[in-house]
Amino acid sequence: MATTIPSIACLGVIGRNNNPLQTTIFPSYDPSTSSYRPVRTPLQFSLILSSTLDVFELRARQNAAAGTGLTGDFGLLHAVDDRLAAYGFETNTGTRFVAIVDMRGRRLDGTGAGVGGGAGGGGGAGNNVGATGVGLREGEMRVVFKAMQVAYIKLLQNPFFEPDEHSPPKGQGGRRITSRKFAEDLRRIGENWGPGVANL
Amino acid sequence: MNDYPAGSLDHNVPFLLTLGTRTDTPYDAGLPAILKEQAVLIRSDLSPLETDQARALLRYIQDRDAAESPCNGRDAAGRKYRFRIKTAERSLLLPPRRARLPEGIEPPPPSAVLHSPYSPLSPISPLYPDGLIDTQWLRKHQHYIPSVLLCFYALTSDPSLATLCDNQIKTDVNNIRALLSQSGYKTRLAVVLLSDHISSTSSSSSSTDVTQERLETIRRGCALDSKALFLVPSSDSQDELERVAENMLTTLYSVSVEYYRDLGRHSRKKRGRGVVPQPTVPPTSGTSQTLSLAGWNVRYDFKSAVFAEYRLEMDVALRSYEQAYENLLSSEVMELIPSWNPRWNDARFLADVAAIRCLRCLLWNGQHSAAARRWLSHRERIADFVDRRGRGTNNYGWAAWEARWAIIMADLINQVDIPELAAPTLRLYLPPEKSAMGERLQPWELLHHTGYWYRLAARHTKTRKAHARAIPDDDRRSPSASPASHVAKAAFAYDTYMCPEPYEEYPLDREGVDHGKIIVGFLMRARDEFLKRRQLRFAAEVSLECARELLFAEEWEMIVDILRPIRDELPFRAEGWISIAEELNWGLRTAGVQVDDAELVLLADWELLSRDFRRRPKWHYDITQALEDVEVTAKPSVSIRDGQVLSFVSASFVFRDEEGKAGQGVRSQLSIKSDAHLDSTPVVLSTVYLSFNGSLDGIILRHKEKKGSKQRARAKASLSTVSLAKQENEGPEAETETGSDVDKGITLVGSADLTLYPGRTLVFNLEIPLREPGETRADSLTINVNTESFDLRQSIAFQETATPKPWYVSAVTVKQVAHPEPLAIRVAPRPPKMEVKPPALREQYYTDEPLSLAFEVENGEDIEAVAKLEVVLFGEKPPLFSVVIPGQEDRTASSVRSEESRLSGASLGTIPSAQSLAVRLVIPPIESSSRYDLTLKVTYFLSTNPGTPISQTAVFPLNIVNPFEANYDLLPRVHPDPWPSLFDPDSVPFPPTDDDAEGTTTSQPPKGLSQGWALVTRYASFASEPLRITDVDIAVQPSPHFRCATTAKHTANIPASGAGRLIHPKTMEEAVFTLAAQKLTVDDRAHVPLDISLVIKWARPDDHDHDPTTAESPTINTTTLPIPRFTIFGTEPRVLASVTHHYRRRSPNPNPNPDEIVTLLTTLTITIENASNHFLTFGLAMEPSEQFAFSGPKQTTLSLLPVSRRRVGYRLVPFDVPAPGTAEGPGAGGGSTEGVGEGTEGKVGEGRVGGGDTTTTTPKGHWIRPALVVRDKYFQKVLRVIPAGDGVRGVKEGGFEVWVPHLS
Repeated sequence: MATTIPSIACLGVIGRNNNPLQTTIFPSYDPSTSSYRPVRTPLQFSLILSSTLDVFELRARQNAAAGTGLTGDFGLLHAVDDRLAAYGFETNTGTRFVAIVDMRGRRLDGTGAGVGGGAGGGGGAGNNVGATGVGLREGEMRVVFKAMQVAYIKLLQNPFFEPDEHSPPKGQGGRRITSRKFAEDLRRIGENWGPGVANL
Repeated sequence: MNDYPAGSLDHNVPFLLTLGTRTDTPYDAGLPAILKEQAVLIRSDLSPLETDQARALLRYIQDRDAAESPCNGRDAAGRKYRFRIKTAERSLLLPPRRARLPEGIEPPPPSAVLHSPYSPLSPISPLYPDGLIDTQWLRKHQHYIPSVLLCFYALTSDPSLATLCDNQIKTDVNNIRALLSQSGYKTRLAVVLLSDHISSTSSSSSSTDVTQERLETIRRGCALDSKALFLVPSSDSQDELERVAENMLTTLYSVSVEYYRDLGRHSRKKRGRGVVPQPTVPPTSGTSQTLSLAGWNVRYDFKSAVFAEYRLEMDVALRSYEQAYENLLSSEVMELIPSWNPRWNDARFLADVAAIRCLRCLLWNGQHSAAARRWLSHRERIADFVDRRGRGTNNYGWAAWEARWAIIMADLINQVDIPELAAPTLRLYLPPEKSAMGERLQPWELLHHTGYWYRLAARHTKTRKAHARAIPDDDRRSPSASPASHVAKAAFAYDTYMCPEPYEEYPLDREGVDHGKIIVGFLMRARDEFLKRRQLRFAAEVSLECARELLFAEEWEMIVDILRPIRDELPFRAEGWISIAEELNWGLRTAGVQVDDAELVLLADWELLSRDFRRRPKWHYDITQALEDVEVTAKPSVSIRDGQVLSFVSASFVFRDEEGKAGQGVRSQLSIKSDAHLDSTPVVLSTVYLSFNGSLDGIILRHKEKKGSKQRARAKASLSTVSLAKQENEGPEAETETGSDVDKGITLVGSADLTLYPGRTLVFNLEIPLREPGETRADSLTINVNTESFDLRQSIAFQETATPKPWYVSAVTVKQVAHPEPLAIRVAPRPPKMEVKPPALREQYYTDEPLSLAFEVENGEDIEAVAKLEVVLFGEKPPLFSVVIPGQEDRTASSVRSEESRLSGASLGTIPSAQSLAVRLVIPPIESSSRYDLTLKVTYFLSTNPGTPISQTAVFPLNIVNPFEANYDLLPRVHPDPWPSLFDPDSVPFPPTDDDAEGTTTSQPPKGLSQGWALVTRYASFASEPLRITDVDIAVQPSPHFRCATTAKHTANIPASGAGRLIHPKTMEEAVFTLAAQKLTVDDRAHVPLDISLVIKWARPDDHDHDPTTAESPTINTTTLPIPRFTIFGTEPRVLASVTHHYRRRSPNPNPNPDEIVTLLTTLTITIENASNHFLTFGLAMEPSEQFAFSGPKQTTLSLLPVSRRRVGYRLVPFDVPAPGTAEGPGAGGGSTEGVGEGTEGKVGEGRVGGGDTTTTTPKGHWIRPALVVRDKYFQKVLRVIPAGDGVRGVKEGGFEVWVPHLS
């Protein structure tokens, strides 16, 4: 049984009006065919992303009551099932980043489809590899959100990017982000992240 | 959990059985038939108790049954015992301790040992010869063999029966004990005695002692422990009963725990022996293999664990279970079992049970993450195991197990009942316990609430379904119908662990396992959990999955029930989760067609037309075809709110201008855009209704097919101008078209081609008439699609957007509308077209003139108007005025206040369009100059819109000025009449008679002193235009003390005809009045005031053009100017100088030519008046002069009696003219040429006009200055000589000058 380690299955950016701004889907390792392909359909990822909004709302209420959560890092939102887990981050302008991690998304040992480069950089991750796969430490996703935030800030610095168009201050909805650069950044972040990666 | 055999997973609770009370149902532990015949019967010979006391106690004990209580240790402190309680009436059956040999088996050698029927050693056991352990064993302890047998007996208080009863009890207990020990079980025996003795306060201690003694006897007689005998005193009190029962149960619990500890110790001892026991009979069938030592160890560990669980020693239990589990999965036990062997599934089952029990122990201890990890690891190990040794994980059997495994966890979580995870906490998962913190945790290891587990189970069930669907047909056939060889082959191909064979899982010819139902069941449970924790979106996701599953089951109504609330309540489309909305729509549409819900289908089809959704291939995308497969009874009518669907029709509206005026029109543009799929059929809108939330009328555009529209459709946008016509709403027909938005009576209607091609924009230019002032905003657009099969209405609210809206100049050119709120227009009030015009309003009006102002009220409206007039005159002390309106009564100002005079509500009647009405405002003469603001406000109503008053206001300044100003000089004159003499009796007034004391004084002719005065007034017109002066006069205020009359007036140049004279502004005019004043009596010598006013009669020059109304007779106005008060009749003496000229002719011609005059004699008369009561003496001295020669006293003294006057005359002959340039008319003093020449000499010649008349000829002459000094002798004071007539003037430095005309 090939040992698998976590990888990112999907990165989502959700606007202030709960509107999806960007969804980037990454392939995961499929042991039955020994190939990489997305673990869910885009519709399913869409549903998963939207369902994290429930958690954001719940958590915001709890944070407000407890006076915590100032960093915006929501940590684990919930585990969708035994394989996928959603982690969340909220910027102070209300934009939310969601990382959906596939806990068995990547083969560690294989010579097979090798995204192993990034995963191999996982440092001490190998020590903890067990039958149930590698777990994640609290805060290990922070680096992803940092990187996403940097990418988002770069996007905002683009003078042609109009944030209000994507998340109108009043009203609903908003347009999706169409920046190719932003999409590339997200792709890079998603592909390079692995447990223990400290810099993206 | 229900998949596992009953009892296999139950939490084990000490078993207590009561005996000896009457029960309604006989006790049956449910021993299997095979054991029943060998069972040991334990029986009580005494009749069961039926007393209330016994029942109450029993009920109390039964209520404490803990078999179903939650599996957690939370209330351990409050709860001293846990029992599973059963009640038997008189007897119970215990399974045999030693199994008998089955029939037909050779009797064993004498050395052979008989074993328990539950042991794999006994041939009777299903485990024989190599099974590990099964549920039967668990059931044995939980259900068959009580740890404590509690016998109920009555302790009779009747002394006569006491001994007998006690002995019976003793016998019975001993009997039972004997039976128990015979059975080989170590069940503890306990006795409860129910006393029927009425214990009361009066009961003596001796009776207690007696009872105590009896108890002691019984205890000893039965060889019972003191802990095993209980007395329940007879008492009515429930509390007492409960207390005793609590005590008893607590005591028994320790006994019970001890019992299980003994059992646990026993099995550990056996494990410690390390010997494989030999079966009673060596196996002869099968592999004839017996259970290995490792297997025995598993069995012993498992037993120890279960006994520990009985004792609630969860840590111990957990350790033992883990040990059993590890050994079971080790290479020595499970690895050795071949997968075709039924023992393989047994071992898997045992592993499951051990793992589940482990999980329960972990959860019991609050190690939630450890439990989740244990759950994961068991799955991984079994999966690994099945992959290696079994039939793999790629089949329906494994998927079924996975689903079951998830459900197990959900059930366990429910059983353990974790308060931190309860729904009200809204917590989705538990944080890791302290020991697991900081480790690398799988997210799933944080224990999530049951919803997630149910969903996981559903997901696995779905996999199972997919696998089941993949079973080849051959295997789906039932074995009886398939060839034997195939059956044999298929027998081992499928993993059927706890799930049916393939021909039952998915049979070919009948219904098999209803996977869909299972999945939906799981999903619905999951959904409930998510909803409880307000995970609405997650619940929606689950619902979608559910609906997809129901689609297979064709449960259409349920799909609609599940999905419709999601569509209506969750903001997926508003928030932009398009794909989710799309999924919802297709689901609803499919179901909608089946349940014939036209509204659902229409709504979905309408929305799916939008290009935002992915295009489904081979879909018709024609809204008119939407209801083809739907059966409807009535024509459906669907109304879509704004925002309810993601509409492919969008609309925007633009006002051309930011502001408009009521009564005018405003240009605006309505554009309707379709974002439908490009190949969809164009939608024909029947009508569109545009509504405003201000005062604007609603607008309806109706569809009207136009030729050539096909060609125009090529362009991106089509622009058309729609003319609007007014239409009154009548009846329900219009109502349905426009919906409930219409509340106004008037609608504008237009028609246009409303065929909406996909991707195109329809633009309509509208000229909207504005009716009422205020802010108006375009509110929404309602589009109606009426076809033969349905009516659909959608409303679209207009939104203000940050980006400027386009204005279509043509179909292809667009410009931006600059103003920030193109949806709104400010409508300024209707500009009144009624005008108030003053045809001839003058700059100035004058005081003392009645004002008659004409105004014209002109109706510039298109229709006639009913008008009212309000007039306000504002200013200081406004006069009352009146208004003359033709055809109406004159109205006078109704309210006069200090600063305003108002007339309101004067009806002007109806003024036809383009006609005017002349209104005259009459203001009486105003005395003083002032300024007024005249405000005329015409309020009118148009007959078309009688509710809206329109008003026009005109303000005119009225400047009332005094047309004249004058200054006055009162010059003394010599009165020609002689003064009365004090000695003259005529001058003495008659003494007043008594009868007419008052009235007669005035009627008497005056007899007092008289004085002459000349009033010189110089007035000027300050008017802005020439005025015609018809007369100038003075009015003397009558006085009781004197009489004053004008003796002559010289109003120069004013013709006496009355036609008057036009005087121009700012020119000075002069008028001289000679006054003669006479006191009434001589006695009265006080000075008196003289009040005169100047009266000027004037008229405006008759300029017919300007003031036609006064054309006939120019009004003569009288302006009275009050003259400052003068004081006359002073008592000081007056020295008056007057002069007369006498000409001497050369010829005796009576009418001499000026040429003929040769010499001039000028007579200077000095008149001294002494009005005082004193005798006064004056000295006169006349200096000789170079200018003239004179005759008269050079130096003289005049003595004047009181009230007398005297004259001194001088004749002056001037010398030659020194310098002609000094000539100047004697204007200041002159003015009169007649009648001044009084003198002692008398007039010698005709007086010639001299001086004065400066306007005609300028007389030539010069002034000479006689140096005459008049001195009061007494006071030695020089008196001023006052010029008292023409030709004499005073000079500044004192003295006076005399005018000498030239003769030439």
